[in-house]
Amino acid sequence: MKTITTDIAIMGSGLAGLTAAVKAAEAGARVAVFEKRPFQGGGVSNTPMMTLAVRDDQEYKDKAFKVHMEYTNYSADAAVVRSWIDNSSHIPEFINGLGIDFLHVMKFDLETLGQLPGYSAGFPKGMHLGDYYFLKGQGKGHGAAVICKRMADTVEKLGGELYFSCPVKGLIREGDKVVGLVATDKDGEELRVSAKAVVIASGGFSDNPGMIKEFTGFTYTNNNCDDGGNVLFNTFPGARMTGDGQRAVWEIGGAQGSMGINGHNLVPGPGIIGHTPWIMKNQMRIIQEQPYLWVNQRGERFIDEGISNNHMAMGTSIARQPDKCSYIVFDEATKRHMEQEGLEYIYFIFPAEKLTDVSGQFEHLIDVVGNKHAFVADTVEDLCAETGIDAAGLTRTLDAYNDYCDKGHDDQFAKDPAFLRPVREPKFYALRCFCGGYQALGGIKVNGKCQVVDDDYRPIKGLYAAGDCAAGEIWGNPPTGGIGVTTICFSQGFITGREAVEYAKSL
Amino acid sequence: MKVDIQDYCIRCGLCEDLYPVLFHLNIEDDKIDLKYEGDIPAELEDMAREARRDCAIAAIFLS
Repeated sequence: MKTITTDIAIMGSGLAGLTAAVKAAEAGARVAVFEKRPFQGGGVSNTPMMTLAVRDDQEYKDKAFKVHMEYTNYSADAAVVRSWIDNSSHIPEFINGLGIDFLHVMKFDLETLGQLPGYSAGFPKGMHLGDYYFLKGQGKGHGAAVICKRMADTVEKLGGELYFSCPVKGLIREGDKVVGLVATDKDGEELRVSAKAVVIASGGFSDNPGMIKEFTGFTYTNNNCDDGGNVLFNTFPGARMTGDGQRAVWEIGGAQGSMGINGHNLVPGPGIIGHTPWIMKNQMRIIQEQPYLWVNQRGERFIDEGISNNHMAMGTSIARQPDKCSYIVFDEATKRHMEQEGLEYIYFIFPAEKLTDVSGQFEHLIDVVGNKHAFVADTVEDLCAETGIDAAGLTRTLDAYNDYCDKGHDDQFAKDPAFLRPVREPKFYALRCFCGGYQALGGIKVNGKCQVVDDDYRPIKGLYAAGDCAAGEIWGNPPTGGIGVTTICFSQGFITGREAVEYAKSL
Repeated sequence: MKVDIQDYCIRCGLCEDLYPVLFHLNIEDDKIDLKYEGDIPAELEDMAREARRDCAIAAIFLS
């Protein structure tokens, strides 16, 4: 058995862990980071393109806080939300300090917070809480990958140590405080780490099907959903986020915090997404953004489709449908509309004002790739036979929906009349959408200082948590609601780095 | 020309998505497999240069 002594031991080298490491090292602490994979970055490297910062203005921060709490129906932990928001204003400066620029910044004025519809951080009607900073990446990658590498380099320059291929196996608790951790080094030998404070930043549990089933009710599936599952993860594929940190905390008496999936609407592959979700193989992801007719397996509408480009809202709604499954259905006329006149919603990640050769794309997906979730049929009956949608239900829905389109008013869900397009003209197209997962988050209960607490809400001395594993207290309930977590990772990284060092100095 | 992947590669698989002729994301072993262990064919050298430019983490080295 090997032994190491350090001031701050950190489990995980993603955004949260490395931010904490940089901050602790800058404050003069000895830092050791333990990462089970052979490289830095955790899950975040593989996608996030932006982060959110709430301006350092009291009125603005107060409004952002109130908007967030209102949208979570006050089910989020107010102290944790407040500390995240108050610390987030430092994020842009921190990223720039790593030598990384922003592609652009979307600024939202005070009065627009919580008011704008569409793609946003969270809930129906949008939840704009601050300014969006789009990270400048290297090559065709997104910026988070470079940020993690720069932070890892910074930690080493400041004298910190990074232990790769070194999974943490458990925490060491003596009385009311945590005094270190046990890991396995790259040679398979046990490593006993004595630390004044430990920060858990091990990510979510997206790659642990058992935990997903147990704590969210979803069944994890493969990329084609051909195994009966109903949730798949496309944002951090293969990130090895298996809930190790959560389990380590629970084993030494830490309380279980809120857990859930940060869901969205997603047509399963193959042939749509590869390993890198931001590089699409066709325009199916753009189609599924559109506010046309959406139905469930019974052929019934279930939402004002005007919300279709708010991913978390759609994910939340789809998760409540039979088999957690939905379809966007459109006809030849709407296909032509998307090709010739243009789209209702332009998806800023895959910007296109018009679609190209939709029939050809469907044909390729169905006949060449073998995707099981794209459908084209000559009749509504045939479409139902292929998809499994209840034919009587869809027929009833179409009768009513087409009537709404004709008269220009959606009696059922009051959808914007501009989005009312009838479904009458053969051919008929459908994409089957499941609840995709951006992340499976939470599990460690923390307070506003990111101290891990026990079931009586008492802090466990010397133990902190940040990022995905500690984000559950922020999104509140419903369980498939959520918020982009890069902002939480940075912010809680600042907090844990600072608080852990202060605690270590107090010993 | 030889292609090398640095240890800090994040295994995102972007290289396979864009250049499957040269790279494969080996999820089981958590590494990037090179389709050519030695020199790559001359006709793929431009592609390798593009792959180096596109890599999210600048982990593709050419020699």
